[in-house]
Amino acid sequence: MSVSAISPTRSPAIRWRTHIDRALVLLLILALWQAGSLWVGTYWLSSPWATTTRFVELVLNGELIRHSGYTLAEAGAGTLIGGFPAVLLPFLLRRHPIIVAILDPFMVGGYGAPKLAFAPLFLLWFGIGMESKIALTASVVFFIVYFATLAGVRALDPRLVQMAQIAGASERQIARHIVMPSAVPNIFAGFRIAVPYAIGAAVIAELISSNRGLGYLVQTGAMNFDTTSVFAAIVAATLLVHAANALMNAFEALLMRWRPPLQSMMET
Amino acid sequence: MAATLLEVRALGKRFAQRQDRDKGREPAPWVIKDLSFSVRDGEFLTIVGPSGAGKSTLLNIIAQIDIASAGEIVFDGATVSTRDPRALRPGIDRRIGYVTQDDNLLPWRSTLDNVLFALEVQGRLDAQARARAEMLIRTVGLAGFERYYPHELSGGMRKRTALIRTLVYDPPMILMDEPFAAVDAQTRTQLQADLLTLWELGRKTIIFVTHDITEAIALGDRALVLSKQPSRIAAEHVIPIPRPRNVKDIFALPGFAAIHERIRADVQ
Amino acid sequence: MTDIALESTAETNLRWRKWAIHGGRLALAIALILGWEYGARTLGRLFFAPPLDVLERIVTLARSGQMFTDIAATMRVSAAGFAIAAFCGVLLPFLLRRSLRATEAVEPYIMASMGIPKYALAPWLILWFGIGDLPKLVVVTLVVFYILYITTFAGIRGVDQRLISMARVIGASERVIAREIIWTSLLPFFFTGLKIAFPRAVSATIVGEFLVSTEGVGRSIEHARQISDTTGVFAGVVIAIALVLAINGIVNLIERFALRWRPVERDMEI
Repeated sequence: MSVSAISPTRSPAIRWRTHIDRALVLLLILALWQAGSLWVGTYWLSSPWATTTRFVELVLNGELIRHSGYTLAEAGAGTLIGGFPAVLLPFLLRRHPIIVAILDPFMVGGYGAPKLAFAPLFLLWFGIGMESKIALTASVVFFIVYFATLAGVRALDPRLVQMAQIAGASERQIARHIVMPSAVPNIFAGFRIAVPYAIGAAVIAELISSNRGLGYLVQTGAMNFDTTSVFAAIVAATLLVHAANALMNAFEALLMRWRPPLQSMMET
Repeated sequence: MAATLLEVRALGKRFAQRQDRDKGREPAPWVIKDLSFSVRDGEFLTIVGPSGAGKSTLLNIIAQIDIASAGEIVFDGATVSTRDPRALRPGIDRRIGYVTQDDNLLPWRSTLDNVLFALEVQGRLDAQARARAEMLIRTVGLAGFERYYPHELSGGMRKRTALIRTLVYDPPMILMDEPFAAVDAQTRTQLQADLLTLWELGRKTIIFVTHDITEAIALGDRALVLSKQPSRIAAEHVIPIPRPRNVKDIFALPGFAAIHERIRADVQ
Repeated sequence: MTDIALESTAETNLRWRKWAIHGGRLALAIALILGWEYGARTLGRLFFAPPLDVLERIVTLARSGQMFTDIAATMRVSAAGFAIAAFCGVLLPFLLRRSLRATEAVEPYIMASMGIPKYALAPWLILWFGIGDLPKLVVVTLVVFYILYITTFAGIRGVDQRLISMARVIGASERVIAREIIWTSLLPFFFTGLKIAFPRAVSATIVGEFLVSTEGVGRSIEHARQISDTTGVFAGVVIAIALVLAINGIVNLIERFALRWRPVERDMEI
């Protein structure tokens, strides 16, 4: 349950009021934005209207779609390349806690170290093309998903394993029927956090140095003193992050029908 | 006279103690010591004992998910107990079923899939097996709930599912660890009646552990009393009440009060 | 099995494991460094600066004082950004708390704005403020703000409602409730939030410096990259990571000191 959803315990009248309140706030934000733009000039602060028209224009001529595609591709490839070993490793090491313990400080270090700080290093190694962004996003995703999967595998209820053993299941069957489904919620939570992060990381790497992607659009816009394009690109990037979030939420709802309803406090 | 299916000889169990500087090198206390009894084929044996008497531990050792520290266990003529954790064979090739105190249903499977789980794992999922599963579901009154997930079922319904999940693959002996302790009195009586109905169908060998003397009398052919730690068999009582029994009115039956009093005296 | 046999098996097992783990970690660390050296030899100095060269460069940077100038510049912006963000990020939830209506009205927009890639604002901010501290400051403040806002809000929401109801019945004013109950219940969450947020502020500053290259640790890294000075990049990254880890360590120490009275949870080592 997202925090923005209105609690179902509120009466219909109050819900209506909240919807109206929110609409009013939106109008207020837009009005302030427009007023600000008029005051300092479109060069400094592109107006809502100009941003929207430019956005539509860039969508229609395909440029925004193309560059969004690059950014998404970078994030997507990075998610796969980083996510796959991150999920696999805890499963393979499930029965070797010593190896997990040996790896632990390195993994914690990798998780705590700001991967974005490595961006110049990746750019040095892989150049300004998509590869460097993929490498960066892969490293971001890997550590997040590794710890999430590890938590999932560790949280396994040993009694369920015993129950399966008594029923005659082999190690393989236990891994498939008990360990895997038990860990899926955690794995999923890991990806839910990692994917929007990956998109953000791709954009940042593009900002530093790139020849394609939404970050690139922002930079070129700024270099041409074209604030409107800059805003349009930022809006596009924001929409992308939110879309990724919404998609992950939808996936989760689909996969987790068997879960007892959890009171989730906050969605990031 | 039916053959002896299970024989427990001078069983002993102690748990390895954690290293504690304060306690020094004291030997770990015996949880179970010199415990012996035997079970006949087709018998319904109940074991009564106070909490902490090592009832679950006993069942765990019989079910081969825990090792014995002393003594041995002979099942169907073959010695099965072991000191080596790696030599454990949980469920002894599916010949011993185990209904635990927590229902341990797989939360991501529907009722029907949970019941079919053991069969699936054993590769015996044919039309006949399915029919049997469905029959058991109907017998315990869960018809219509096949697609429900465990969190959508009441405690009693989950218990029933756990019960028939073990019955469906027909192990010759079934262990039950206070399966009805966590439900309300009314549901419990109903579950006891259901259990007896199911048992009459196949006359499996059942070892049923409980702290409730009434339950022990209502269900069992024989009741063993377990002493406090270090646990041994303190007494043995044959239940003189003829079958089929009406568990709901067990109090009113002749002989109940007498046997109840005798057992209660031994439990002190 | 005799008593002593049982005990010593369990004990030797545990000791052996500890040795295996520590030994394994050491071996892995050595292997990584050797791999690093090997990589430098085979892949060429352009890609992999040799460890010794990097070490030498770090010493040079320390000697010349460049390293400290960089760190000071970075910390300056981090601290300022963190302070502003902490103030707003903690204050806002408390203000919003007063009116459920205001919270519900405003919340979706705060959540929506969280999706904006803050670093993407840097080029536009440079347009406004030129290359200097200000663009970095704004970005860092934004990054840290959201972290603290969410943490604080979660903390406030987690406060036991019954305590608040009880206080209201007694007749305590909202202000007193905020101060006495909410703030106190909030403190542990608050510290955790700060613990996470401050190192984040530092790393956000470094990343910001990639984009707004004037001075600081990040600027040195990016500058080295642009002139293909691999050794410089490696040295800079090592310094950056050491800085963040050091900050992490310091914050942890402060927390442990401040919460001395709390019973420490002993984590089970494998």
